[in-house]
Amino acid sequence: MALISVSNLSKSFGNFKAVKNVSFEVREGDVFGFLGPNGAGKSTTIRCLLSLIKPSGGEIEFFNQNLASNRNAVLSKVGCIIEKPDFYKYLSAYKNLEIFGRISGKDLSKMEIYKFLDFVGLTGREKDKVSGFSHGMKQRLGIAQTLMHDPDIIILDEPTTGLDPQGIIEVRNLILRLRDEQNKTVLLSSHQLSEIEIIANRMVIINKGETIVEGSVQELLEKQSLNLQINVMNESIFESTLLQSFPELKYHKVYPHNYHVEMVSDTSAQLNEKLVNAGAGVKSIVPKRSLEDFFIKMTEK
Amino acid sequence: MLWKNTRNEWIKITSKIRSYLGIGALTVLVVVVQVALKADGGSFISYVTASFEQTLSFNGKILNGNLVAFIVLQMLIVHVPLLIALVTGDLLSGEEAAGTIRMLATKPISRTQIVLSKWIAAALYTFVMTAWLAFLSLVVGKFIFGEGDLIVLNSSGLNIIASDDLPWRFALSMLIAFLALLTVSTLSLCFSAFAKNSVGPIVATMAVIILFTIIGTLDVTVFDAIKPYMFTTHMAAWRSVFEVPLPWDAVWESIVVLLVHIVVLLGITILRFNKKDITS
Repeated sequence: MALISVSNLSKSFGNFKAVKNVSFEVREGDVFGFLGPNGAGKSTTIRCLLSLIKPSGGEIEFFNQNLASNRNAVLSKVGCIIEKPDFYKYLSAYKNLEIFGRISGKDLSKMEIYKFLDFVGLTGREKDKVSGFSHGMKQRLGIAQTLMHDPDIIILDEPTTGLDPQGIIEVRNLILRLRDEQNKTVLLSSHQLSEIEIIANRMVIINKGETIVEGSVQELLEKQSLNLQINVMNESIFESTLLQSFPELKYHKVYPHNYHVEMVSDTSAQLNEKLVNAGAGVKSIVPKRSLEDFFIKMTEK
Repeated sequence: MLWKNTRNEWIKITSKIRSYLGIGALTVLVVVVQVALKADGGSFISYVTASFEQTLSFNGKILNGNLVAFIVLQMLIVHVPLLIALVTGDLLSGEEAAGTIRMLATKPISRTQIVLSKWIAAALYTFVMTAWLAFLSLVVGKFIFGEGDLIVLNSSGLNIIASDDLPWRFALSMLIAFLALLTVSTLSLCFSAFAKNSVGPIVATMAVIILFTIIGTLDVTVFDAIKPYMFTTHMAAWRSVFEVPLPWDAVWESIVVLLVHIVVLLGITILRFNKKDITS
């Protein structure tokens, strides 16, 4: 069942067309990756989904209800963070959640607010003013804020932007917990492509305001060739072994003792065995198949 | 949802330091005027009554709590709009600058209700400021200077109003002053819907008040047609309440003009905020 359906969405700012006929569907239970380079129209699309920006054309439906005519009913089932969660800095974390909870359609008790703060690891900081919070803490408080009214869909626009590696891991784990423990459907916009590869099951890629491709992350990846980065001690044995045993493989030397090998199907184990037996001195084999390659190919078109 | 968000808006206003700056400044200003009048009020009264001394004889306690309240109101009613605009000009633009407008506008509350709840909270703050001004000038004034009849010089000449005829006049004058200040609040809220920071609306509000006041005082016929419709013309309408007989027609006209301004400005704010793309 499609929880979000976007059809031919477009948005212009004056003469500039930021979004041109973007279409995609987010199904129940998805962690849906929304990808695109900077300026692709991701944030504009997401702002349209949340009624922050009025679309110039197209249709947006949540739960088979038109967003424009059922705005409040739809938004009562949606939680979101747009870019960075901004809170009232002069108020405490608790007070901020109380304020946003009050207008999210669900009156929360003190205990419930404390429960959400605990879920995102902010126990003990409830009464601290948000002005003293780090970016990561604000991001976690933002996730608590999205959960308060028990939404069916959570929309996160670039939630890991500006976070340090530890913060990225924390937010990523929180997203996975939302999916696994709370059965939420998540629409996740990110330029951290490796993150989408780890978290998302389906995705859409947009570029220059247009949809490039939509589908299952697994299926889209399987269509891609597998690239290996191989580091060997003996270059001549490496090259002769490849020519004799794997003539179908394309390879090129990246820099001394390092080769880039492109495979159609995954025969990396057999290749490794042959190279070791031939005495090529294999120091490392690193698989390079990722969304990065896929994304670059798609957006270069 | 409207009342829930109004409660939120009131919490936000009362949690900001700038909201207390106005009340603090007002308190200091009133106390300074009262102390000055207590110290040298006699000279002030002599200066005012000098031109009447050849034709009139003044007996009794002219410098009393009622006269001090009237003087304080006259002095401060011009400055209070700035103190109010400091808070109300920030209500929408401050959320835009801080980014919290994104959080607010993605909640299941209509944009019209967001504006209305902010306006109600602004009206409440304006009322608190007006009530505080009334308390300081009247209650504290009477405590320091005592009770007495009020002698006022205005357009109808020298009026002497008995002290027992004053409470309702002060109440009505405060109501009109509140409407005038609410017009200023609504104007700054309106500017706030067009701006992305809070400085712009505050400066724009004061600029409009100053410009309209100058136009209102210029004795140039070209402006005569618009003067009756400018809200600044009616901001001093509270003074009319201290005329004998009370010019009810002029008072009602001022109330209507101020109410029309409030409704139109609020309508523009709602329209603008509903049409606005939130891109910050």
